[in-house]
Formats: sequence, C-alpha cells, structure tokens
Amino acid sequence: MSEVMSNGVMSEVMSAEALMPSKKLSARGWMRANLFNRWYNAVLTLILALVIAYLGFRSIRYLFWTAEWEPVRANLTLFMIGSFPRDEQWRVVVQLLLLAAAFGVIWGSMIGASRDRAAQSGSPFSAEPGWVALRRWWGLVLLLGVLLLAAWGILPLVLAFGCIALIFMLRRIAMRLASKVRIYAWFGGYVLLIASWQIVSGTGGSAWFWAAGLLAFWGIRTVRKKDLTPRLPLTLVAIVGGGAVAWAIYTFILNGLINFSGVGWDNWSGFHLNLIAATISIIAAFPLGLILALGRRSSLPAIRWLCVTYIELIRGVPLIGLLFIGNSLLGFFIDNDPFIDFFLDTPLSQISRAIVIMSLFTAAYLAEVIRGGLEATPRGQTEAGQSVGLSPWQITSRIVMPQTLRASIPAIVGQFISLLKDSSLLSIIAVSEILRVRASVHSQGAFTTLGTAETLVFIAFAFWAFAFTWSRESQRLEKHLGVGER
Amino acid sequence: MLKNKKLITLLCATFALVLFAVACGSDDSDDASLLEEVQDRDSVRCGVRDALAGFAVLGADGSYSGFDVEFCRVVAAGVLGDANKVEFIPLETADRFTALQSGEVDVLIRNTTWTATRDGQEGANFLFTTFYDGQGFIVPADSGITSLEGLQDATICVAQGTTTELNLNAVFSARGINFTPAFFDTNTALQEAYEGGQCESYTGDASSLATYKFTSERDGGPAQYVIPEVISKEPLGPVVADGDTAWAQAVNWSIMATVQAWEFGLNSGNINSYSGDDPNVLNFLGAIDPSIEGLSTDFAVNVVSQVGNYQQIYARTLEPLGLPMAGSANRLWTDGGLLYTPPYR
Repeated sequence: MSEVMSNGVMSEVMSAEALMPSKKLSARGWMRANLFNRWYNAVLTLILALVIAYLGFRSIRYLFWTAEWEPVRANLTLFMIGSFPRDEQWRVVVQLLLLAAAFGVIWGSMIGASRDRAAQSGSPFSAEPGWVALRRWWGLVLLLGVLLLAAWGILPLVLAFGCIALIFMLRRIAMRLASKVRIYAWFGGYVLLIASWQIVSGTGGSAWFWAAGLLAFWGIRTVRKKDLTPRLPLTLVAIVGGGAVAWAIYTFILNGLINFSGVGWDNWSGFHLNLIAATISIIAAFPLGLILALGRRSSLPAIRWLCVTYIELIRGVPLIGLLFIGNSLLGFFIDNDPFIDFFLDTPLSQISRAIVIMSLFTAAYLAEVIRGGLEATPRGQTEAGQSVGLSPWQITSRIVMPQTLRASIPAIVGQFISLLKDSSLLSIIAVSEILRVRASVHSQGAFTTLGTAETLVFIAFAFWAFAFTWSRESQRLEKHLGVGER
Repeated sequence: MLKNKKLITLLCATFALVLFAVACGSDDSDDASLLEEVQDRDSVRCGVRDALAGFAVLGADGSYSGFDVEFCRVVAAGVLGDANKVEFIPLETADRFTALQSGEVDVLIRNTTWTATRDGQEGANFLFTTFYDGQGFIVPADSGITSLEGLQDATICVAQGTTTELNLNAVFSARGINFTPAFFDTNTALQEAYEGGQCESYTGDASSLATYKFTSERDGGPAQYVIPEVISKEPLGPVVADGDTAWAQAVNWSIMATVQAWEFGLNSGNINSYSGDDPNVLNFLGAIDPSIEGLSTDFAVNVVSQVGNYQQIYARTLEPLGLPMAGSANRLWTDGGLLYTPPYR
C-alpha cells in the first residue's frame, strides 16, 4: 500500500482501503487520501478551509479583541451566586470544598470497588490516571479557566486549585483502602455531601433529615449485609426510622454543638441556583418517574390509569404553563393549610414551588423513558425469575430494573441535560437565576447598553460546559455498561 | 401475590387518608393586620423589580438599589425603626398583584401605575404617589421623526401586559395612526429589539426612555430623540392589599415623611441636630403623637436619618442616570410640582 501511495497512483480498491482508519498513514498521506483525492474534493477542501479560516479568524477576533467583556467581569460574582448575601459568601466557598472532598472520596471508593470486583473475577484492572479524567472534562476545565481569568485574583486561584488538589488527594487515599474500610469511606463521602448542603442552608431545614434517613437505611443494609431493597415496608421503616434516630441524636445531643442558621435556598440565586434547582429536581424526579413507569404497567387498573393520567396530563402541558400555575395558583391552594403547615414552618416559597413543578414535570418524561427501557427488557427475564420462586419485588429490583436502567441511560441523561437548560425558564417567574441576573446587569447604570451580546455568550458557555460534560460522562457509562452491544 | 395486594391496599389507604387530611384542612386565616405580622417577623417583604435602571436594580454586590428600593427601606425604617430590615422579592409584571393578594409580599413598590381598574379589580390599595411619570416614545435621532404623527405605519416595541400597551392602542387608534406593535416581556428585551432595528420606536415611561437615552449616548451608541409629547398619566407609587387600613396608613405616612421632611428643609444630615422652634417641625420630629398604629412618635426621624428625604433619594438614584428633577412634576408643590402631603399636626 505504501508503494502505491508513494507513486501517487490509486486504484479504487486502494482508496477504499485508505478510508479505513490506519495508523500507518503520514499526515501528508492522510490528506492526499482523504482531502485531495479528486479534483473536485480538492476544490471543496480549499473552499471549506477558507470558510473555516475566516469564521475562526472572526470568532477569535471577537472573543479576544472586539468583544466587551466588562459587564461579565464586573458582575462575575453576581452571575454565579446572584443576590446571595455577600457576608455569608464563605458558606459557598466551604460548600465547594466539601463537595470536592465528597467527590474525591466517592470517586476513589468507586475505583476501589471496581478493582476489587476485577480481582474477584480475575480480570486485569488498571485505574484511570486523574489527568485523563481532567482531559475528559475539558469543557468544565475550560469554564473554570475562563472564570479564573475573569476573576483574576489570588483567592479564587487558591480555591480552585485547592478543590482540585482535594479531589485527587482524597481519591488517591480512598481508592487504596481495603474493602472492609471502604464501607466507612462511602459513609464519609455521603456525610460530606449532606454537610456541603447544610453549611449553606443551616441546620434548620429538613433536607438533612431525609438525607440522614437514607444514609441510615443504607448503613443498616451495608453493615448487616442484609439487602432490604426487595422488601418495601422494611425499607420505608428503615428510612423513616433512620431519619427519626438522626433527628433524635441531633435534637438531644448535637443541637448545642452544631446548631447554626444559614441562608435558605429562597435566597440562593445566579448559576448556583440553576445547578441546585436542576440537581434537586433530578434527584426528586428519578424515584417518582420510576414508580410512575412501573405503575403504568401495573395489572391493577386503578393504579395504571392514575399513572397514565398523570403522565399524559403533565406531558401535554408546556413547562412554562406549569411554572405559571405553580407560581400563581399553588400559593392559593396550599396557603394556611394546617396539614402542610405541620410539615413546613413557612408557606412554600417561590423557589420551592418552582422546584416541585420541575420535579413533577421531569418525572412524567422520565416515566416514559424508563417505560421504554422496561419494554425493551425481554418478558422471559421476568418469567425466569418467577420460575425460581422470586417475589415480584425481587424480580423487579434484581432482574428487570438493572437491565431497564442500563438500556435507558442515554435518554435519562438527555432528560437531565434538558432539565438543566430548562432551569433558565425560572427567569419568567421572577426567580433570580442566571438569565434573569443578566437583565439586572444590563439595568445597572454602567452597562445598560454595553456588552449585551457578550453576557449571553458567557451564559451559553456556562450551560454548555456542564451539559457537554454530563453527556460525555453518560457516553462513557454506556460504553462501560455495554449498552447497545447486546 | 396476596401479600402484595394487601400492601398496595395499605398504600392506597394511606394515600387516601393523606388526601383527606389535606382536603379537610380548614382555612384558619385570621383577620389580624399585616402590621402585626410584619412586626413579629421583624422584616418587610417588599415586591420590587430587579432590572429597571434607576428604580430597582440588582447590583454587582448582590444588593438592590434604586428609587423604588429606597422607598422599601423607608417603610422598614418607619415601621420597624431599621431601614435594613427589608427582604426584597423580585416580581414579574404579570404576577405582581397575585403576589400581593396571596400575601407573598407586604408591599409592592414596583413601578406600578395607579389606575381605577387596578384599584377596583385587583384588590390593590394605591398609596401616596412617589413618582409622576408619563408614556413617551423614543426614536433614533437620525430618523427625523419629531411627532407622534411621524410614527404612521411604524413598528413600535412595547412591554406586554402593562398600561403602556393599552395607552398605545387607545391613543393611536383615536388619532388614526396605523402601527404594528411588537411585544416583549422585559425592558432589556425591549431595548435590545429596538437596538437591533426590530422596531422604529419603543414606547415606555418617559423616565426609562430618558435613562436609556442618557446611558446609550454616554456609551457611544447612536444619538436618540425622545418625542416631547407624553400620551398618558402614570402615577407610580406603593401598593398594599385592600382591606387593611392599619398597614396601609403605616406605609403611607412613612413614605410621606420623606416629602414632608424635604418641605421642612430637613435631610439625613441635619434632622438629628435640628435646633429651631418651628412648632410644625417639632410636631414632625415627635412632639405630638398622631397615634398612627404601628408608627412610633419618632418614626419620621428614623426614616429621614436612615434613608433621607425625597430630594436626597431622587438625587442619589435617578439624577446620575440623566433624569433631572427640574421641569418634572416630581417637585414640591411650593416649587410648582405635584408633591403635596397632608399637614403634620
């Protein structure tokens, strides 16, 4: 083949071969084979190269010279955390550090667990070096770079590199732990996650109660080595009971030590709020969507029709419409209701209502996505489970669900990405998320007409960095689980 | 299988019980004045805008500032004695009255025009007008348009769901001027559409046109021309929910104190050191107790010393944006303006 190439003569067979990926071709040879193999391809290549060069030149000139980035630079904090009280800003900083720590511990534990699994099955295993992951997340790294450049200070720099160092340090430690100790590392990771929430919202909220309940449930399960998942009542008792124990420990023992007030999420805003609102909605929508999907396939007509009605009703209404309903009408329905007052000290705030609506909306779509996965799971799987005498819960949780979720990962992640982007719709009901912050920026005396396009470019870039990284991670997960290979 | 059905029955029963409990929840809203609630909470929830230059803007430091915002602080200073005890709640134009009715905000100071239908239908109670505005039109200076008749067959950008839209339709159809409206939700969107050439003119409150012209020309934008004719009356002021006299009076007198102080020549710098013997001024400073529920005798001193008088507020927020007080209706009645408060005695 190299002979043919050097002569510059190519038969039809050879050109077909040249199109196949081959490492032997030199850059020059590759170009000749793919870009200049016919006269019309050569012309096309030249024209396209000119167009790309022109667009590239204009983009670079715009980004680095003509664009007016001052509104973004001067309002960087505003874009990120909006009207979050500035004398409480340290809470967000600590939250970032705790999140980084939790991420490092959980990531390291995951690597350790898959190494153990590999050792058990005798297959080779090599941990992915940290820098490879950073390369994979280049979208986020780029965003971080842009933010650091715009912030231009020693403190943000220390914080950013502190977070990265924390992630990799704890990852390294956690991945080397023996499997017996690793259980506690998992716990540590989740406790850090809860702490990262509490440090901002204070200990007054009820989120930690549920988080502690889940943790307790999972703790009983792991330490006693008893899988509670197939037994629903026991699971619920474990979660609620765990929460109650956590509440009791907190109220009677720790209250004096760690009682501190914080900034509730009603006062969170900016991109911080976009990310939080999307994350909470995802976490809340997932179990609900799962239940709806199973309910839609239930053999009990009442449950089936309830689920069908819910799914079709929600999917038939645009998110904007639902947000308006939640914003304007929900307040009248649930105001002064003693039942709701029992659970909430204050009426549902605007942001809580918006997050509830977003979760309900996403759950309906997730239900359909998961139902698709359920349909794709062969009926024989259920029958096999029945034939060995498993209970319906065991069949669902042990046989059907793992296959269903694996099959629907791409669609689920797609739903989550669109939820993140949809969080900018909150601006129309006056929630100060990043797009609404932009309107405020351009009402400041200095920037009413300056850089109105640039702020949009910046916001789009911030959304892209997250959406792109999530999508890349989902692709990797698909590959890892072998979706589409069987 | 049987066990499973029992479980589902149990779940259904629980669910039904929960629904029942929710449905049976009696409405125990009381008739106590909002005033007590505000004092108990020790903070005033003030519905504002977050993106109207000069009136209410979320600044780079995450705090609100502007003309309307200052009056929120005035209410807090009057009712609670501390101008900083305000919680600012940004609201959209479309749901500002809903927020007021559902009790999400205590007072609405959000560039809201006092009209008969709003006073009647929206369950809103409009108080002392803090700013007299009017609807105007802005065009590029090089368009050569100098009167409303010049806008024949033009496309005009307008904010949706505001009195601005109604006025535009009414006045233009009465005068037989044909036009195409282009609707936008926010001021920023409106201005961007106008800059992008989507419309020949944009209409809005004369104040926002003036600040737009000023900042746009300052930043090197094309020269603008505000058509001198104003087609409407737009009295803007604080709004509270109907049927709560105590709260309405407390808010109203707190706000009027800024105008009264200006009339007396008192400002944040000199009010604490007043040494004159004018009985009217001494009354204002606390010599008499008018027994307005919720206001202490020295509420006016709190308002003026912590926030300032009307002129100071105006000079701080609107004048830097090219909106001079001279020539407008927003001057004292003694000076030919419309700011006139009931006597303090």
